[in-house]
Amino acid sequence: MKRQRRLGAVAAATALTLGLAACAGGASDNQSTSGGSGSLTFRSWSPIEQTTQQMIAAFKQANPDAKIDATIFNYPEYLVDLQTRAASNTMPDIVGLQPGALTQQYRANLMPLQDCAQKTWGADWQKKFYPIGIEQARMGNPAGDENFYTLPLLVQTVNLWANTKIFDEKHAQIPQTWDQLKATVNQLKGGEYAPFMLPAKDSWLRNVVFLQIANNIEPGLVYKAEDGSDSWTNPKLVEAFDYWGKLFTDGIAQKGAIGLDAYPTGANQFEAGNAAMIPLGAWWIQQSDPTKTGLPPLSEGMSGYQPFLFPTIPGGAAQPQLVGGIDVSLGIAKNTKNPDLACKVLTDWIAGAGAQKLINTFNDLPAVTGLNPEKFTSDKQKQIWTTLTSEWMPQVKYSRYLKTPQMDTALGDALSGIATGELTPQAAAAKVQAEQQKVNG
Amino acid sequence: MSDHTLQKHTAPREWLAGTLFLLPAVVLFGIFVIYPIVYNFQASTLEWDGVNPGRLVGLGNYTRLFQDPIFLTTLKNSGWWILLTIIPQALIGFFLAMLLNEKLRGRAIYRAIFFIPAVLSPVVVGIVWQRIFDPFNGVVAKLGRATGLDFLVHGYLADPKTAIFAAIVVNVWMWTGFSMLFYLAGLQLIDSSVLAAAKIDGAGTWRTIRSIIWPLLRQTHLSLLLLGIIGSLKTFELVYVLTEGGPNHASEMLPTYTFKQAFQLQSVGYASTISAVLLLIAVISSLSMVRAFGSGFLTGDEK
Repeated sequence: MKRQRRLGAVAAATALTLGLAACAGGASDNQSTSGGSGSLTFRSWSPIEQTTQQMIAAFKQANPDAKIDATIFNYPEYLVDLQTRAASNTMPDIVGLQPGALTQQYRANLMPLQDCAQKTWGADWQKKFYPIGIEQARMGNPAGDENFYTLPLLVQTVNLWANTKIFDEKHAQIPQTWDQLKATVNQLKGGEYAPFMLPAKDSWLRNVVFLQIANNIEPGLVYKAEDGSDSWTNPKLVEAFDYWGKLFTDGIAQKGAIGLDAYPTGANQFEAGNAAMIPLGAWWIQQSDPTKTGLPPLSEGMSGYQPFLFPTIPGGAAQPQLVGGIDVSLGIAKNTKNPDLACKVLTDWIAGAGAQKLINTFNDLPAVTGLNPEKFTSDKQKQIWTTLTSEWMPQVKYSRYLKTPQMDTALGDALSGIATGELTPQAAAAKVQAEQQKVNG
Repeated sequence: MSDHTLQKHTAPREWLAGTLFLLPAVVLFGIFVIYPIVYNFQASTLEWDGVNPGRLVGLGNYTRLFQDPIFLTTLKNSGWWILLTIIPQALIGFFLAMLLNEKLRGRAIYRAIFFIPAVLSPVVVGIVWQRIFDPFNGVVAKLGRATGLDFLVHGYLADPKTAIFAAIVVNVWMWTGFSMLFYLAGLQLIDSSVLAAAKIDGAGTWRTIRSIIWPLLRQTHLSLLLLGIIGSLKTFELVYVLTEGGPNHASEMLPTYTFKQAFQLQSVGYASTISAVLLLIAVISSLSMVRAFGSGFLTGDEK
């Protein structure tokens, strides 16, 4: 009997302990402080862990009392983590976000940042940033809401890259027009490499290539179709769908392009010299990160690469249009206990010592103008950096994103349907338009 | 004190002790199984992005589900997956188990080799097989070019007609070792005197397999069948890495579509509806099996 009672007590204690354990967790142990001390949490998918730690170290050098606990995830896992945390009221103090739908989803959990920006950089703080970054930071805000719920950390253009080693060996010219693209692909065929490697498995990649084509045909029309002032079935956009299809039917893209992912496979193949051209973006310069050792020969100082814009389309704009936008932006949780410290960290990572560390790795282009890596490993790397940051980025006018995930998905699906021959350009345009009408109500 | 009085005194105490012993398991079961199911069903009645307040739509998400062609594709793909995964996996696994149950030199190494794919990360397997199937630079295509077998130079993962079957092939490759291990365990439980008696009675190898070994492995077949059905319904990582459910949703499975709806399209309510249907299918499949074959294959009992 005594033994039974003892066992009963043990069971009760176990239940109580488990019960308490189940109730625990979730409470933030942040200490409320101001300025450069206290503790913060940061979660994102970008920058990579190693770079984030360098940024934290740079911040802590000037603010030794600050403690920043950072966790970097893969993007899909990050979305799961963020949603779970937002739902359970345990948002990290600083979060990485993409502009548009993702930022809007968490808008109610984020604090407006214009006061923080103004306090740090002065009244004309917006001029520090590339215009497209400022424009996209508020993408999707409800009418009349002029708040900045995130500020851009990194920006980018979407463009093509050439393997100059192959081009030089074949005495080929970087194509400026569609006809030149076709001719160059034909000239480069027959080797061990793909003349034009299109890693079209990824919806984002299909969409950014299409947006480059569409803006080269009729600049800005896509966004009019998106806001309802025009239609996706406009013949100019149907033509853009048609040109997308021609990448496959005219033998420009490699066989099986719709099954190849951009990362890791497409990028690895391009870096290994298995492709002469690939559509990616400004971030490809990160392959020449001088803090890394053992870079492949093509990536060393960007010696084997040259960026170029998507060729012009017959009857379209005379010059290729620049498409791009924010890569990653940062937001601060509304319920952070350390708003001052969070502001200080966020602005430091965007334009201070932390930002310098970030940019030294060539991770992507800085959101602010005039911030350059402290060390270039070659003249070519410097020349490419200058092209991207001084010539292209200030001119980026067209967004690489659509405003809603529904439209991003609908466009990606339509492009996939064309690539596999399941949809005609007209049918694809009609499908996207139907979804647009649903989204716009 | 009579027995009856003693019973009267001890019964509540025993009941209390028993309850307390059960309590941790019940609490954990409630928190980690019951609560998520209830929460999921509640979420399935909402139009909700998972973060901001949702809007009650009642059974609207369920109505939408059966008009959604992608959802219908996921059901069809799950059917193919169950059929084309479980049967080949079982047959090849059984064949390998028979082979590696014999006294072969280095059989432990062979067993390990065949089992290795089952312990690899599906993400790694997906990346590797995507490269193997790449019609431009993959091993299969190169083999096709070298041998003149043109059918090998095909984008199996890039073709909507073949993508799901290519993914199934990879899945069979990955999990056959697991079936083999199950059958090996089952084979070692067969009483050798039964096999000896069959031999004395003049049964040949094929007859012994067909009439003795195969029927005696009934519990193993059923366990693999149940695990196969549940595993098929849960398939996510491999498909996500191999095809992302594409091209154009041709290889979409219930979990990949759920993930896309919840975290890419911010439709947690709709994703919960898909999860609810998935749960329902899993429960119905399991209960049907238990009803048809008895619970013996789960508990180890003969009945």
